[in-house]
Amino acid sequence: MTTPIIEFQHVNKFFGDFQALKDINFQLDQGKFYSLLGPSGSGKTTILRTIAGFNSVTSGTVLFQGKPLKNVPPNKRRVNTIFQNYALFPHLNVFDNVAFGLSIRHVPKDEIQTRVMDALKMVHLQELASRDINELSGGQQQRVAIARAIINEPELLLLDEPLSALDKKLRQDMQYELRELQQRLGITFVFVTHDQEEALAMSDEIFVMDEGAILQNGTPVDIYDEPINHFVADFIGESNIVKGTMVKDYEVEFVGKRFECADAGMRPNEPVEVVLRPEDLDVTTPDKGKLIVQVDSQLFRGDHFEVVAYDADHNEWLIHSTNPVKEDADIGLFFEPEDIHVMRFNEKEADFDARLEQYEGE
Amino acid sequence: MQRKNRLGRVYLVIVFLVLYLPILYLIYFSFSSGSTMNTFKNFTWANYRTLFADTRLIQIVLQTLLLALLSSLIATVVGTMGALGIAASKRTSTRNLMLSLNNVLMVSPDVIIGASFLILFTMLGISLGFGSVLASHIAFSIPIVVLMVLPRIQEMDHALIDAAYDLGASAPQVLNRVILPFITPGIVAGYFMAFTYSLDDFAVTFFVTGNGFATLSVEIYSRARQGISLEINALSALMFVFALLLVLIYFFIQVHQSNRTKRNKQKARNAA
Repeated sequence: MTTPIIEFQHVNKFFGDFQALKDINFQLDQGKFYSLLGPSGSGKTTILRTIAGFNSVTSGTVLFQGKPLKNVPPNKRRVNTIFQNYALFPHLNVFDNVAFGLSIRHVPKDEIQTRVMDALKMVHLQELASRDINELSGGQQQRVAIARAIINEPELLLLDEPLSALDKKLRQDMQYELRELQQRLGITFVFVTHDQEEALAMSDEIFVMDEGAILQNGTPVDIYDEPINHFVADFIGESNIVKGTMVKDYEVEFVGKRFECADAGMRPNEPVEVVLRPEDLDVTTPDKGKLIVQVDSQLFRGDHFEVVAYDADHNEWLIHSTNPVKEDADIGLFFEPEDIHVMRFNEKEADFDARLEQYEGE
Repeated sequence: MQRKNRLGRVYLVIVFLVLYLPILYLIYFSFSSGSTMNTFKNFTWANYRTLFADTRLIQIVLQTLLLALLSSLIATVVGTMGALGIAASKRTSTRNLMLSLNNVLMVSPDVIIGASFLILFTMLGISLGFGSVLASHIAFSIPIVVLMVLPRIQEMDHALIDAAYDLGASAPQVLNRVILPFITPGIVAGYFMAFTYSLDDFAVTFFVTGNGFATLSVEIYSRARQGISLEINALSALMFVFALLLVLIYFFIQVHQSNRTKRNKQKARNAA
């Protein structure tokens, strides 16, 4: 087991009376792509700035490769940041922006020349080296910021919502490029975003944050399939969340019916919330369905139809269907026991993981 | 619409006439062979010849320029540091207090500033001369520089400073390589403003200047009391032409620069 590149131990941060970080604990391993995902004000940028050295912590310890970071100023950390608005130097051209970090450290001129051109080649900008920054498009500026950050060969690259200013098509292209770049360089990436699609697409591991606390961490698949609570389920992707009761292990009751499910380890008759993802609901005839709902409206989304329907108890159901349905018609919904995900109220992440371990190991 | 346009043009012409006629009038009489500005006699270069022969006046012109260059240079250095200090102050109340103290000096009348400097220098026993004038010019130029530089600092995205630290720069390197280049336009503007204020100043200089030293404005004032000689007209004409040349050079530099950026932007668009 190697030492983690970054470790947070019981980190708290106050800005005046406002607590921005609440007892943050995590470890980041070398060479992985991490995302900090959460709504604005959730503390994800505060964590990033703490690692970069622009924030101090109120209490707790931050370790970099096992050594405390507390008294290391930002310019002495082997960490580089890609800022939200890129923060490129407007008085320098593309080449000099990328060369900034090297010229600061008095690297010989000819070495700077080759390394800058290599970095620009990596982001496909070698022809624009002598351009001014304000002559570049948003996507090109983004690439300059990436080249400027990776030329210093940091151990850790921090990305503060770097794609949020780009249009959708470009954003998707950049997601592939960033992921590919990370794998090629083998640098640890910490990516801050409020866009769950971005986080799911690129990350090895996601930390979901809200109100200064980490709610859940895990692989994108884990977080999507087994959200720990209502907030995570709702924030990550679209979901149908209904109240229910855990009758016994592997049996849950909601909307007045009992269903076989894949969850266990809770008290009998414990009140719970049940998550069903829209794409896990299959439209069928009323007699074959486990649930019968009436279609209210549908929208064509290109690759699927988004159907909104209501059951007899007026619960709203969101369904992704490949085929169109008739409006106002009664349809049946079919789902497998594994499609049901049961969430307990106020369950801590450690308890949640332990419980999953307990019955998934069987 | 047509009519309105013509009225506007007439108005503009009148405004510029009012602004420029006195100067043109002065220049016109600089070529007159008479001794007063009542009637134009014959065309002559005589006034220019006496001007160039008047070593005292030429020396004063050079002194005035030297004073302006020196005082605005020092004021720019001090004022820029002051602006950086004001911008860096953490508490808004401190910042506002310092800015208000700065602005009070900007709006208080020159006569009061001049008189107070005179009192200060006499109390401290400092002899009046080049030194006292220089010190007072520096003092009244600093607030101007602060006012020109401060907006530029506040315009600057703080992420640029973070980025520089992030890339490994030390505090002096951040100042030299990021902050100063970014605020240079403000510094240059502040320098030129201070320069013109110093060239212009009469009231403050009049109070604090001694026997051995005079600036152009003080000298012209003392000569005008004995009736103005047309030599002064010649000097005004030369200075006007000089200023005009500076403005023209500045204009062509600007045109050249904006053309270049436009061309490059066009290139960028074609490439994309």
